[in-house]
Amino acid sequence: MDDLSRRLLQRLVRRIPAQALKTTLGKWDRLTAAQRQSVDFTQPKWTITETLLAIFEENEWTMKHVTELEMIHIIDNPNQGMWYAFQLMDPEDDAKSVELTQFKEQFKAHLSELVRHVSVKIKKHTDEAVWIRIAWGDSFSRPNHMKPTYVVHHLQTPYVFVTSLTSKQKPLLSQALILSTRHQGIKDANLSGRKLAAIRDLLMKQYQQVFPTKYPGTLTEKNQTVSNPRIEREQAELGENRFQMACEAFGDGMLPQLQSAIYKLETKFRDHTNKTMTEREELPFKCVVKFSSTNLLESLRECAASGIASTPVTPLLSSIPLKGRNYFVITDNGLGPSSQTNQPQN
Amino acid sequence: MDGAPSKGVLSHLNLLEVLARSRKSQPQQHSRVNELKAKAAALMKQRDQLKAEIQTHQNLQKLRTSMDRQNSNDEEDEMDDDSENSENSQLLRLMARHTQLKDLLDAHHLIGGYDVIKTSRGKGVCVSLATAYEGVYLDTYNLEIDMKPKLRISRHNIPPFIPLNDLAEQSNMETNIKDFLDLLSRHLNAFAGRKQQLKIVKEELKSIEVMESNVLCSILVLMFTVPRQKTAVLCTLDYTDHTRCLPTRVHFDSEDQELPNSPEWKKNCSLLKETPVHKAIITMKKMGHIV
Amino acid sequence: MFKIVSGFVRYNTTIRMERQHSSVVRTPLDSVKVQRRSKSRSYRQSYRSCLGAASRLGSTPAFTARRLNTSRKAPKLHNITEKVNAEQLALLMKSEWKLSYVTPLYQFRHTQLKSYSRQLSAFIAAEKQQGLAVEVEGSQNSFRVSFSAVQGMAGTDDDAETVLIQIHSKSIFARQDEHQRLIWSGWLTCINGNPDYLRSLPKDFICLPLFGSSGSEVLTSSVQSWFQQNFDCCFGPLEISHTSLQWLVALWTNCHTESNIQHLKMIWSIPVVPPLQITYTVNPQDAWDLWNSVRKSPQEEKETEEEEGRSIDIEEVMQFMQGLKSHFYRHFRLDLSAGSLKQVSTALGSAKYNGRIKISNSKYMITTLTLLTEGALLKMPI
Repeated sequence: MDDLSRRLLQRLVRRIPAQALKTTLGKWDRLTAAQRQSVDFTQPKWTITETLLAIFEENEWTMKHVTELEMIHIIDNPNQGMWYAFQLMDPEDDAKSVELTQFKEQFKAHLSELVRHVSVKIKKHTDEAVWIRIAWGDSFSRPNHMKPTYVVHHLQTPYVFVTSLTSKQKPLLSQALILSTRHQGIKDANLSGRKLAAIRDLLMKQYQQVFPTKYPGTLTEKNQTVSNPRIEREQAELGENRFQMACEAFGDGMLPQLQSAIYKLETKFRDHTNKTMTEREELPFKCVVKFSSTNLLESLRECAASGIASTPVTPLLSSIPLKGRNYFVITDNGLGPSSQTNQPQN
Repeated sequence: MDGAPSKGVLSHLNLLEVLARSRKSQPQQHSRVNELKAKAAALMKQRDQLKAEIQTHQNLQKLRTSMDRQNSNDEEDEMDDDSENSENSQLLRLMARHTQLKDLLDAHHLIGGYDVIKTSRGKGVCVSLATAYEGVYLDTYNLEIDMKPKLRISRHNIPPFIPLNDLAEQSNMETNIKDFLDLLSRHLNAFAGRKQQLKIVKEELKSIEVMESNVLCSILVLMFTVPRQKTAVLCTLDYTDHTRCLPTRVHFDSEDQELPNSPEWKKNCSLLKETPVHKAIITMKKMGHIV
Repeated sequence: MFKIVSGFVRYNTTIRMERQHSSVVRTPLDSVKVQRRSKSRSYRQSYRSCLGAASRLGSTPAFTARRLNTSRKAPKLHNITEKVNAEQLALLMKSEWKLSYVTPLYQFRHTQLKSYSRQLSAFIAAEKQQGLAVEVEGSQNSFRVSFSAVQGMAGTDDDAETVLIQIHSKSIFARQDEHQRLIWSGWLTCINGNPDYLRSLPKDFICLPLFGSSGSEVLTSSVQSWFQQNFDCCFGPLEISHTSLQWLVALWTNCHTESNIQHLKMIWSIPVVPPLQITYTVNPQDAWDLWNSVRKSPQEEKETEEEEGRSIDIEEVMQFMQGLKSHFYRHFRLDLSAGSLKQVSTALGSAKYNGRIKISNSKYMITTLTLLTEGALLKMPI
């Protein structure tokens, strides 16, 4: 076992809580029963590390095995950095018949062609997701296993989720992905977050969306207390209506845990009480607005349901779930690649 | 006769004869008057009938509008009281209800039997597409479609691996929404069916190992075991036609290279092509071809 | 409950929100004032009387916001770099300070600072021995306290001189020449305090109502209890109210032409579940243009402008805020008035509702501290 793999294993053990480590080793399924029992998870981390290092040495395991262990851990605990979504574009005719084995071979082949030293590991997860771990090197240096890039892709879908990717590596990864999935292009999907599941569910539409229905009243609003019975009915009706619209815009029940959304506004300042600013020549009022919460969509839904945000919900906010984006550039004429035309009525 | 030469004496005589004959029929003129009178009476009767019909139709229309309005308002019955008890009015009401239902049925046919309702903002409609496989209702998908300024899908919950935009383009959604919905429904139902088959295989046929599958359930790789020799057979099912629940290609891989060409495995191949995978597997098991 | 309002100044909402916030923080104040002695009562009442008849209604801290001056001088460039020791100034700008108010100090003498340094060192050592102070730096360390006066840090002659306190830690095993580490610092100040009030104080009292600290909480409370024991004063947490934060938004933006503010960043918190935080960052030039557009016509005040700088009115501040809010509403149809302003920051400094402030530009230190002094005086319990 070389020094690098030893260091990676040490770091891995240090980062994973003892109980999680036990689960990970169980899933890895390479240790014999005796070896498993020799690891005492109540011991301090450095003792556990020593024991594991000894087992690795004994079995002559290498970097390959350490990265296997790391992958299992990351797949189970993916929320350790920012995940960025990308969208594959213009599929070729044979894109829909790409299958795993073919994809694996192609991806590895294309990437090795582009980068001289690169180490790629691909693993299919139970939820149909293909996980790719890439340790990058270049013409002069060996792959750096300490800073791997992780890529998650569901074959036959246009989305790819990536974490820990530098701008230098981005074109290389893009190229390999386009070729091996049989597409013609890839673009930034303007969606990012710490929770992989949230951005995946949002793009895969795996959350409870609400559509107009013939049978109203299926949505139940919680904690609605109105003290005055005379205004109760009217209030309740208004409230119900708002709640329905809030749910139609953001969804019902538990929503994907998106934590922020950013809007770059470069629109004219318009306010009938402020002539000077409204008549300012062609100059946009530049500002950046960031919404953040532990669960942004649930917060926004409550804003709309409670009336803090007016209903119907503005397209700017409903675009987050509708378009699966959380980064927007807003201009008056909708120029630019990531912009969106916006003429809210006042 | 017009074409005959009119100059000859004979022809003149002929003409006179014809004239003379027609004189004889003059007494018949009386009956002609009667006939016309009767006709007039008949027409008058018909007019009255039509008038009555118009009246009825108008009444019916009125009733319909009030019925429609009531339906949308969900308010209590507030019909014109004066006509309430007459048999006629009851008949009228039944007729109105009949036309109403008939219209609904027509509309339902028109949209191909999909559940369509107007969206709350009234700008468009919301279509529900239910999926089912072997009599079991599965997921329902929804599409919100804006009608103005042009037909456009504004919101939906269809997973991204169903190429919604391509289907819309392919079927000319803007001009032919029914075709589009039919095509989409076929895709969704086929997907639901494949997914359900896979689920059954995974849950109920534990001796078969699912080696590979994808989110669209368009590729399925299974591992079969031949009973006595314990030979492993890798079976790849390719569902290239995404509107169908049956594979377009079935391929076997085995250590025993002869096996795929054997008559019984050739039979298995066509079985898998023609029967849903879980049923085919059960048959293959019964025949003793696999464990 | 929330109506669509765009382009209207909503004083009512602002004041109502203010009241809610203040009432939440009232409790700790009540508990602090338990050990008061009778002689201190006189000055506390006298500050209220200085504010005129209307202030008598304001018997709860809730009215604090309203009683802040409704008009203030535009920040002048105070070139305090010429007056104040550069090292001390650098220290004041280095950290973010946690603010408290302090009631007037009884028999505090600026001439005794050396002796106070010794006394406070001994006090902290004693507390440490009693185990009252949780270990900060490990038991082998000793503390050295130093008091110093910050000369030139004052608005008027009525203001008492600012006092700076620093605590260095030194390992017992360290060599003599080894560098001592600054582990805690704090200051007491009064900038442009209400002169009527300051003059009405009995002779033995020194008013330094604003206390800022940076360092471990344990040391902060040690320092505070030493002051309480020796000068019969009391401390209480000082929030930077919604209104004060709005004042800072305007005061800082107003400086843009003289000193680039880089950005105007405001953080609102919206009371929904889970809580929503909105960070609104405005381009400095656009913020200044908007600010300029809500300023009252400059001609009226032209003469005074040249000497003193134009005064800023609360109405202008509110109109500025309303302009920012209505631009926001036009896009997001979400009413920021439903939430509360929690934080403001520009290149000149940052201020947070929980009473933390950082002043990054010495030129505007006096302006900012004037506002905070005013807030501290108002926050002192009756």
